[in-house]
Amino acid sequence: MQATQTCPFFPGGAAEDVAPLLGQRDDLSVSDRSHWPRFGLKGPGSADWLSDAGVALPAPNRLSLSSGFTVLRLGPNDITLLGDPAAPEALTALCARWEAAPGPKGFSSWREEAWAWLHLDGRALEDALARLCAVDLRPRRFVPEAIAQTRFAEVDAVVIRRGGAAEVFFDIAASAAVLRTIRHGGGHP
Amino acid sequence: MKLLSCPLNGPRNIEEFQYLGPLRGRPDPDALSDADWARHLFRAENRPGAMLEWWRHRPSNYVFLAERHTVTNAVIRTFDPSELEPGA
Repeated sequence: MQATQTCPFFPGGAAEDVAPLLGQRDDLSVSDRSHWPRFGLKGPGSADWLSDAGVALPAPNRLSLSSGFTVLRLGPNDITLLGDPAAPEALTALCARWEAAPGPKGFSSWREEAWAWLHLDGRALEDALARLCAVDLRPRRFVPEAIAQTRFAEVDAVVIRRGGAAEVFFDIAASAAVLRTIRHGGGHP
Repeated sequence: MKLLSCPLNGPRNIEEFQYLGPLRGRPDPDALSDADWARHLFRAENRPGAMLEWWRHRPSNYVFLAERHTVTNAVIRTFDPSELEPGA
């Protein structure tokens, strides 16, 4: 569950040279949350183990708020929990409990290392999302508990919306390419 | 844009999917002649008509079945493997 010490956009990271593109632009801010805590379980037993641990699971392809974290149910037995760095205790405790459990309990899907996590917000957000993703992510069509597992900025990604912003999870090795695509307006500059 | 309707994710651009080949029986190799077993392993069925095929939605890694007509390329239905009738 420990976040990686060096994320791609960090100094010394693989996408360090692209990091200035993050920035806080007035119309579309992009911030890197790749170092934020999260925990993914996958495989037979993962949903049952989490339910037994008191995590309320939504239906597949839906998200919900549980005690202290957001639960992404990406499939019947593919679940990722998103933590908040300001209050990581609940997620840390759950991870420790999972590590100590005998199983069956699924296996770690290493979301904290394999996924990059970007947070997008700003006046131009809806326009940018429309150009970066074929799924209609406008709030009136994309309900708050929805998850889009689709193509975003020309890579496979998971997209959710919280508090009006959009959050995108994708292969961390594609960090630089995705940020360039976002900043160049959907890959068609 | 060609769309395929994923049972889990809904209609999506065909580029999000990977074709995994036709649904095939799983004969017992001990009950077949060598020739029939070799045919099962190495020959691909390529008959015209409606066929059941395995497909994968790549971003969600979800594997499902589609019934597709190999002449018209029309997708007749898509469904979760748990809905497969025994013996299909």
